[in-house]
Amino acid sequence: MEIMESGAADTQQKHEEKYQQQTEEKHFHVLAVDDSLIERKLLERLLKVSSYRVTFVDSGDKALEYLGLLNSIDNVKATSSSSSSSSSYQSPRQDQGMKVNLIITDYCMPGMSGYDLLKRVKGSYFKDVPVVIMSSENIPSRIGMCLDEGAEEFLLKPLQLSDMEKLQHHLLNSLEHSCERIDKSLNTDSNCIAVRNKSNSNHGSVSRVRRQMT
Amino acid sequence: MDLLSQLRGQIADFSAFLHREGFVDDQFTQLQKLRDESSPGFVVEVVSLFFEDCEKLVNNMAKALEQQIVDFKQVDSHVHQLKGSSSSIGAARIHNVCIAFKTCCEDQNRDGCVRCLQQVNHECIQLKNNLQTLFKLEQQIVAAGGSIPAMQ
Repeated sequence: MEIMESGAADTQQKHEEKYQQQTEEKHFHVLAVDDSLIERKLLERLLKVSSYRVTFVDSGDKALEYLGLLNSIDNVKATSSSSSSSSSYQSPRQDQGMKVNLIITDYCMPGMSGYDLLKRVKGSYFKDVPVVIMSSENIPSRIGMCLDEGAEEFLLKPLQLSDMEKLQHHLLNSLEHSCERIDKSLNTDSNCIAVRNKSNSNHGSVSRVRRQMT
Repeated sequence: MDLLSQLRGQIADFSAFLHREGFVDDQFTQLQKLRDESSPGFVVEVVSLFFEDCEKLVNNMAKALEQQIVDFKQVDSHVHQLKGSSSSIGAARIHNVCIAFKTCCEDQNRDGCVRCLQQVNHECIQLKNNLQTLFKLEQQIVAAGGSIPAMQ
């Protein structure tokens, strides 16, 4: 976001907007999906204690709706029952302040399961957003299936504070990869492939320098 | 011994009792760790929600088991919900009954289910009373000018 030097008041406002943006960006935004109220309460506390911003939904459908993925071609049924959007195509949610940095979802939910949600997300605009699956059941084949489908992590319930540290790890990783993509696109490199497991701490600092410069 | 020390001793003994008898497990301690100045009523809130939910589920399961033809799938889904929430708050005894209850549902064993439901109900009442005692002690400590001690 560039600062236009067209007057003191203008600059002041732009400074304030930039500060607001940076404050929002300081806290990772987690989209949490669970049909159980009690689980949501626990998760809310765990995430807030860890300084994350959280948005809660109680179903996979609502998660897709939030992300703006519900009205896609292969979901005609949802389009006709959706009351909120009037347009036939909802573009993916890209508002600056509401950017989702991580999705954490329960596996076992009525309707769309966490696994189904995972598949939808990984096949969408949000495929690089880390998805974490939670389950009360320790079933190796289930865990394998989710990890194969691209889940970053599989957490066993009940969740504890120590599980939040695992989220931090995935959030920081994903931040690193998005910096790599920004770098690549700025270098007009058309092969924007996020390289997994590539550790390069310089990219984190490059993104901070860029923000300061704008 | 001053009042605060007395109360602290009481609460420590009572907590130890709750853990020893398996009413609560480590997950309950984890919940208490999440309580702080910004959210002092967190444990009370979650526990209240749990008992509300418990009551609803018990009623639904009772109705389902009274039917001529029992929908065991439905009963099982209620048990699954209760199993999950009891585990999340550390209500160990209730959680254990739910494990047995699930097996009865899978076996389509109506009598077994009815017995399990009675046990669930009994455990819910016991835990509710016990936690009310615990919360009262905590309130007394705060009233006496102390802060709620961290549980073991």
